[in-house]
Amino acid sequence: MTGKPASLLEVRDLTATFHRDGAPSRVVNGISFDIAPGEAVGFVGESGSGKSVTARAVMRLAPEGSSIEWGGRIRFQGQELLSLTEREMRDVRGRRIAMVFQDPMASLNPVMSVGAQIDDMLVRHTGVSTRAARKRTVELLGLVGIRDPAIRADDFPHQFSGGMRQRVLIAISVSCQPDLLIADEPTTALDVTVQAQILRLLMRLRRELGMALMLITHDFGVIAGMVERVYVMHRGDIVESGEVDTLFAAPKHAYTQALLAAVPRIESTRRPA
Amino acid sequence: MLRMILVRLALTVPILFGVSIIAFGLMRALPGDFVLAAAGTTAVSDEVLAVTRRNLGLDRPIWEQYGIWLGNALAGDLGTSFATKKSVVSELLPRLAVTAELTLMAGLLAMLMGATTGLASARLRGRTDWVVRGLNSLLLAVPNFVVATLIVLLFGLYFPTIGIFNYVPFARDPLGNIGSLLLPALSLALTVSVTVSENTRAAVLEVSSQDYVMVARAKGLLARTILGNYLVKNALTPVITVTGLQLAALLGGSILIETIFTIPGMGQYLFDSVSRRDYPVIQAIVLVSSTIVLLMNVLVDIAYARVDARVSYD
Ligand SMILES: Nc1ncnc2c1ncn2[C@@H]1O[C@H](COP(=O)(O)OP(=O)(O)OP(=O)(O)O)[C@@H](O)[C@H]1O
Ligand SMILES: [Mg+2]
Repeated sequence: MTGKPASLLEVRDLTATFHRDGAPSRVVNGISFDIAPGEAVGFVGESGSGKSVTARAVMRLAPEGSSIEWGGRIRFQGQELLSLTEREMRDVRGRRIAMVFQDPMASLNPVMSVGAQIDDMLVRHTGVSTRAARKRTVELLGLVGIRDPAIRADDFPHQFSGGMRQRVLIAISVSCQPDLLIADEPTTALDVTVQAQILRLLMRLRRELGMALMLITHDFGVIAGMVERVYVMHRGDIVESGEVDTLFAAPKHAYTQALLAAVPRIESTRRPA
Repeated sequence: MLRMILVRLALTVPILFGVSIIAFGLMRALPGDFVLAAAGTTAVSDEVLAVTRRNLGLDRPIWEQYGIWLGNALAGDLGTSFATKKSVVSELLPRLAVTAELTLMAGLLAMLMGATTGLASARLRGRTDWVVRGLNSLLLAVPNFVVATLIVLLFGLYFPTIGIFNYVPFARDPLGNIGSLLLPALSLALTVSVTVSENTRAAVLEVSSQDYVMVARAKGLLARTILGNYLVKNALTPVITVTGLQLAALLGGSILIETIFTIPGMGQYLFDSVSRRDYPVIQAIVLVSSTIVLLMNVLVDIAYARVDARVSYD
């Protein structure tokens, strides 16, 4: 390999503007970042700093019922996503870029069995029959650590705990072996012991499937040991970025220092003194 | 599930018992009785009136009348019409069939119109939403008998050749029968379709903002898959419930509509019987309609559980 690997995702001057009642409000102010193939990158920042809006911009997912406008460039595998048609974009979503959301309790369709919610994605992107998809679905459920996957596939979301649901959602997101997995605060809604399991699962799948990972969190503790590089977001801007260790050791920006100070135990757990 | 159905059915028994008391009591609370109504304006001596009353059993204490009636009703005999001297059951059944058909047609129309407009309103928003909601408020403000009267007037004035008062029995000409019920069913359906439309709209809007719809979009699913399996399937539960509960409104509305369009159904029968104070008929109709409404509610609960796996009655 010669020097820096080619970018998988290359975002330049990304802006996101909501239009509500005619008054535009810009929530992402022209940010640029890169993710290399197979790389794990963290996005940290307090609530409302624009992390989710940025993540959804990469998927070109507008929140329901509001009108949003994106500007700048989002190049994914050399393709400009912002100029794709909606139909072309639908082939990218789930197939090449997949996403895991924050609240597993609300992210599964309550009236469909969990298996059917993986089947439909496989049928959509791989063109197999529902019957053939089910075989793969059961494998996937096993892969994310659901016991008796063949039986559990027919169960409905309300029969699963929060952690189990997040596993199902992860199974959904990796079902078509995407090149980039975006995880938007995948553990925020879960209790601490389960958080660690889910993070380990994500790391394992990332390794096994060779996916790049864009991990979003407001918790520096989650980032530690998970990613190679971090972008720190503050009010719609990227205020600092760099290698995880460098950033932890010597945060330059006052805001990053403040964020780190909010996780007092991080130094001692990472490098016992 | 079976247990739930049985329990719900068992619960309808005390309710029906209460209904029977009210039906019986209300009739007798009305001023005048059958005999006076039948006599009309002709002068009839008190003796004649008394004899007629005795023949009909109206001279007995009211609780005794009730007891006899209830006993017979439990055995499936709803008595004899004072006016026609025929068995109420034999007179009611064919009329019930007509009303059932009208109500069913109106229910289907209401569901179809309500669901489409509600869905369009919620999904397309903007101008469509504006138009649908405007029409809904308008329709809600106009009672269905006014709509029916307007339809009758319009057709009478401009299309007198289309006989709107020509009810065609199903046995004679099934297609003609449905055709002859279409306008009445439409005027009956309008008000209920507004309720269905508003509820569909609210349900779809509510479901649209759920995280799982965003997840479905993030999966790259086709718009029609998301609409069918994610939006509609979830919005269905509240819509089924309101539609089912609107059945009572449809049954009630059919009385006026049948009278306006001169359809020989239960509604018109009830209307005539009330003016004649034909107690057995009225009581029978109240009891039968209540039973239908109660059974519909049980059906709604079953449909509810079938659509939504989270609903379990055990
Ligand atoms: N649908 C919307 N309509 C209008 N403004 C929105 C909408 N969604 C988000 N915003 C605004 O965009 C900004 C960034 O929101 P975003 O959800 O990206 O924050 P976040 O960093 O993900 O925060 P959190 O940690 O709470 O998830 C916020 O100021 C928010 O108010
Ligand atoms: Mg967020």
